Amino acid sequence: MDPECSQLLPALCAVLADPRQPMADDTCLEKLLDWFKTITEAGSSLLLLQENPCLVELLCHVLKPQDLSSRVLSFSLRLTGVFAAQEDCFQYLQGDSSLFVASAAGQLLVHILSLSMRGPAEGPPGLQADDWPACAQKIVGHIEESLRSTAAPQITQALNVLTTTFGHCHDPWTQVLWVQLHPLVAALLEKDPVPAAHSLVDLLLSVARSPGLSSSSCGLWETLAQTLSHLSPTQAGLLALGILKLQDCPQALRAQAFAVLLQPLACVLKATAQGPGPSGLLDSTSADSVTADILLPSKAACVGLLCRTLAHLELLLPLPQRPCPWPQAPLLGAAVTLLQLCGGSGSPASDEGRQLCTLLLGCVRVQRAALDFLGTLSQETGPPELVTQVFAVLLEYLRSPDSSPTVLKKAFQATFRWLLSSPRTPGCSDLDSHALLFLRELLPVLQKRLCSPCWEVRDSGLEFLTQMTRRWGGQAGFRHALLASEVPRLTEQLLRDPESYVRASAVTAMGQLSSQGLCVPPASPEHPGGQQKSLLGELLHILSTDSEGFPRRAVMQVFTQWLRDSHADVVGDTEQFVAGVLQVAGQDLDWEVRAQGLELALVFLEQTLGPPRSHCPYAVTPPVAAPASPLTQALQPLCRVRLFEFAFRALFDCDRPVAQKSCDLLLLLRAKMASSSSLQEPRSSPDVASVEAALQRWRAGDQAQPLGDLEPEVVLAVLRSMDLEGLRGALAESSDHVEKSPQSLLQDMLATVGILGENEADCY
Amino acid sequence: MPEIRVTPLGAGQDVGRSCILVSIAGKNVMLDCGMHMGFNDDRRFPDFSYITRSGRLTDFLDCVIISHFHLDHCGALPYFSEMVGYDGPIYMTHPTQAICPILLEDYRKIAVDKKGEANFFTSQMIKDCMKKVVAVHLHQTVQVDDELEIKAYYAGHVLGAAMFQIKVGSESVVYTGDYNMTPDRHLGAAWIDRCRPNLLITESTYATTIRDSKRCRERDFLKKVHEAVERGGKVLIPVFALGRAQELCILLETFWERMNLKAPIYFSTGLTEKANHYYKLFITWTNQKIRKTFVQRNMFEFKHIKAFDRAFADNPGPMVVFATPGMLHAGQSLQIFRKWAGNEKNMVIMPGYCVQGTVGHKILSGQRKLEMEGRQVLEVKMQVEYMSFSAHADAKGIMQLVGQVEPEGVLLVHGEAKKMEFLKQKIEQELRVSCYMPANGETVTLPTSPSIPVGISLGLLKREMAQGLLPDAKKPRLLHGTLIMKDSNFRLVSSEQALKELGLAEHQLRFTCRVHLHDPRKEQETALRVYSHLKSVLKDHCVQHLPDGSVTVESILIQAAAHSEDPGTKVLLVSWTYQDEELGSYLTSLLKKGLPQAPS
Repeated sequence: MDPECSQLLPALCAVLADPRQPMADDTCLEKLLDWFKTITEAGSSLLLLQENPCLVELLCHVLKPQDLSSRVLSFSLRLTGVFAAQEDCFQYLQGDSSLFVASAAGQLLVHILSLSMRGPAEGPPGLQADDWPACAQKIVGHIEESLRSTAAPQITQALNVLTTTFGHCHDPWTQVLWVQLHPLVAALLEKDPVPAAHSLVDLLLSVARSPGLSSSSCGLWETLAQTLSHLSPTQAGLLALGILKLQDCPQALRAQAFAVLLQPLACVLKATAQGPGPSGLLDSTSADSVTADILLPSKAACVGLLCRTLAHLELLLPLPQRPCPWPQAPLLGAAVTLLQLCGGSGSPASDEGRQLCTLLLGCVRVQRAALDFLGTLSQETGPPELVTQVFAVLLEYLRSPDSSPTVLKKAFQATFRWLLSSPRTPGCSDLDSHALLFLRELLPVLQKRLCSPCWEVRDSGLEFLTQMTRRWGGQAGFRHALLASEVPRLTEQLLRDPESYVRASAVTAMGQLSSQGLCVPPASPEHPGGQQKSLLGELLHILSTDSEGFPRRAVMQVFTQWLRDSHADVVGDTEQFVAGVLQVAGQDLDWEVRAQGLELALVFLEQTLGPPRSHCPYAVTPPVAAPASPLTQALQPLCRVRLFEFAFRALFDCDRPVAQKSCDLLLLLRAKMASSSSLQEPRSSPDVASVEAALQRWRAGDQAQPLGDLEPEVVLAVLRSMDLEGLRGALAESSDHVEKSPQSLLQDMLATVGILGENEADCY
Repeated sequence: MPEIRVTPLGAGQDVGRSCILVSIAGKNVMLDCGMHMGFNDDRRFPDFSYITRSGRLTDFLDCVIISHFHLDHCGALPYFSEMVGYDGPIYMTHPTQAICPILLEDYRKIAVDKKGEANFFTSQMIKDCMKKVVAVHLHQTVQVDDELEIKAYYAGHVLGAAMFQIKVGSESVVYTGDYNMTPDRHLGAAWIDRCRPNLLITESTYATTIRDSKRCRERDFLKKVHEAVERGGKVLIPVFALGRAQELCILLETFWERMNLKAPIYFSTGLTEKANHYYKLFITWTNQKIRKTFVQRNMFEFKHIKAFDRAFADNPGPMVVFATPGMLHAGQSLQIFRKWAGNEKNMVIMPGYCVQGTVGHKILSGQRKLEMEGRQVLEVKMQVEYMSFSAHADAKGIMQLVGQVEPEGVLLVHGEAKKMEFLKQKIEQELRVSCYMPANGETVTLPTSPSIPVGISLGLLKREMAQGLLPDAKKPRLLHGTLIMKDSNFRLVSSEQALKELGLAEHQLRFTCRVHLHDPRKEQETALRVYSHLKSVLKDHCVQHLPDGSVTVESILIQAAAHSEDPGTKVLLVSWTYQDEELGSYLTSLLKKGLPQAPS
């Protein structure tokens, strides 16, 4: 602890111990605790207490019964815990009605158990539970008693404590513990309904995952199998998923777990099957009537179970340990069927099917879950006729006027994923003929969606278009279909959308279309001779006039990308382009636009001077504009576009990221200077002095005066004289590091004492 | 036992981040999803792990409701929806939907700018989060699903602030969010139906305060600003972009106009336009006066307040500047503060609360030497003033609202424990309503007695009608039928229909009573005597003598039999169904009195 803080501490402790001095802000106490934690982690707590007797006095004082605020009491208890984690008030705490306190008490219990089992210097206690330290035996006894209890909260607490124990401790004694408690846990399964099912699942999975336990010897697999069959399908899903994620686990158990997950979808397929015959998901003999009983009578239960099932399967699919063979085709069929039922296009023949149809019609929750699942299924392929159905149902959703904005967004995402997965030829990223056919149907739908009255829908449509163009913009089939549609023209119109989010997405989309040469609409017949307004001009207009930050930021990103890709509109007169953009960006009120301006400046700098060499010595650097000429000459273009004025101004920006970025850019430039052979000795000149003086004023906050035209020599001289490293160091510390310091905290807490009035709770 | 459960994850005995979980009739709703401005780490967000324990959030929660755009009520929303992964619907009013992303974006920029935080939500996340929002109108009943419905009411406080009624079947909860029971310069007072919910969850920021008149505070504010400007000083008012800033702008604008003052007033970072835009767009949400004058002059088109440029800060002479952010912790307001702090002629007015660690907090607690970056010490010579303009209901207002809503119970949030305790007692004593004040993470459980809807078959109703009794809403009536509980709904049908539907055979239950009669004649004759007696007594009933010798009165069957031991005595077997219990008992008692002497 530094001396300043040591000096402040006694006064603060006195305030805390005084019940007449209210401590308004408990965030302060939290932060104080954080600070003590860091101190005790770094050094000896004993020394800390010896050096600061006021702390011990505070803790002793708090123990006396008095009218102390609960905040200070809880703070002191936790502080005591930090100093010596040996509190035995856990039993009292565990029964607290607060989730937070109960959970903290549980954690404390586990810590004590684990600490006591670590044992004294003469070695850990033996593996016989009877030899365990009294403290550990007491805790285990408490857990056993709780497990035998009939009160669900007590059982839950005990299970949670055990879950934490097996999650954190993997020493051999945990196996002894499990063997001892296992019968009590198994006995819970005999009850109907199974109490604290969630916590039980957590515990069993925690035990199964624990490297300290050999699962086969403890009867764990049997318990898991038993639990799977005892829990209701709604509760069993999570356990099934957990089992399937386990690394080594008997095949039969895995099969049982997978069946639990598949069951609800099998029921759906069975209920909606057009004719007799197996649905392919599970053989019909095992079609579970329990599941059907949950699915059919109540909408809430049906929706809940289906959403959970879909989410679990979605999580399972990308895992390497997922079941093999994976029933891709029936799962695809189930997802499509569910979407059809929700969308109203399913026409099941059976009674159960019709009942499902009534329950699910228009259900947005199932739609969302099924679309997400369908999207994930695109990682694998399926039989062509099913894939056709997938595209058909997606199109149905994209077309449907009933689709909510969220559902539409998900439908767009799923469509993109399926389009991505559609190529049959390995290594070829082009869209195949089926996908192109689909695209011809899709584009009119997209067109319609771009005109939606909902901004969410227009925006999702534009995001989808950008994704597609980025991926297939170079492909003839896609280009042809897109150019034949109204989509590019509509996108251009959305640059003037009333919603700023949409304008921003339209900017990104147009930038992408333009990069791929896809936004050259034919001259309009109404104005055959009319000047086609260039996209560049339009985007510059947005950059300088749009009242919202998002579109301006999007423009800067497009411009940076264009410069990087040597876009046709840029290469014509790169310097004019860069100068114009930097001038506008430099005046922007949004620091992210200014920071993006520096990004663009960096690209230009690298293109002019060559890429930085230091990054990767093995990288193949393309031979672009390597400065063969003296550096001063190479700097000419940078001076012409006024890049330095922009960068120097940014260096003293009141927004830290801008200053940081500018600092990095100038340091990079200086590194280049150093490596350049054409280094000339700096000469001080009146120009240099005036620039330095101007920079001093800028630094002081007065940025009114411009620098004017700078000569490369002057720039080099100024760069050499600046302490950029020092500045970078200062900027690297977050601007509130002073305010966050412990000293500032103690000062603030002391300063607040006595001035608390009505204002303390006046949050907003 | 049906119950309502409430667990605050935030705002339980504190004014940090509002986030309250409510379970009502099996539906789970999250009320507000706020952020704590006082923390810079994970603690700024509510601890959602307590809900994620029970599986995916989207499966657990039916919806999220946001009461208004202040960050302590909506600041954790993008984190919750995009990083924790909630995918369900989020409800808020139209103005909140419009303004919320601006404030979130503002906060994100400060967090990233100032602290360089990498693990923070991005612009894209804010947008994706806002796409999940469903905007609602005031007093519009919104059906979240088949069972859950919500309805918004005007709350005052800030533009677009709303109270929400959450209803499942006959059970309901009202959540007030932050509200104001007295109108201010631009907003009206909160209003809600007398909806008699099971529970009212109300804020209690000013639980023990009766606030002085707003006029006084306004006069004080204007006087201070005026004095500073008169002596040639510069006045800095750090504000958050939207909300209180607008009220102060109206205040100054009117004052400048009236006093014909010339000193310029500036508003930083182009927010004026944006604010104007939204206040114009949502003019119906402002108070009556503003709405009335809107036709002649839009109150939010200021004559004296102009956009601020960084260069203006160095201009000589007096000026007033509104700059963001409101706690002097970064950006423009801090930059201007640094420039002006050294001059005692200048003044800074803090119109709201500041969290520990910010420059705002330091100067408000009287610190005058501030250590800035690089061990520089900034000496604060300028005048520092604090003036609260926050629009919360005071103790009187809270009591008034409770009285207006007439809830069965009240639950206090968004306040301090000690003050809540006081209000709790007041509510329990004066209004005789039970009151709760759970701490964060603590669950309050309220048993409810829900009314269960029962469908009545048309046939049954028709039969009732046929009896000529017309339904009358004021008079409860007894209706007999068979209750069928099937597929988790209840129906009352006629017993015939119940039998038919359930495929059951009817069993008849008859009571039989023996009445001994002294009559030496033959059984047939006794029966005949019974018949004539009853025929004469029961004129209104259908009495029949059947060929087998037995007598019937409605469903009641009477047979005469010889006594096994006493030939002078006959036994009458009287048997009836339970429907004719009354008549059966009457007949038995009648027969027990004996038969009239037969004419010999």
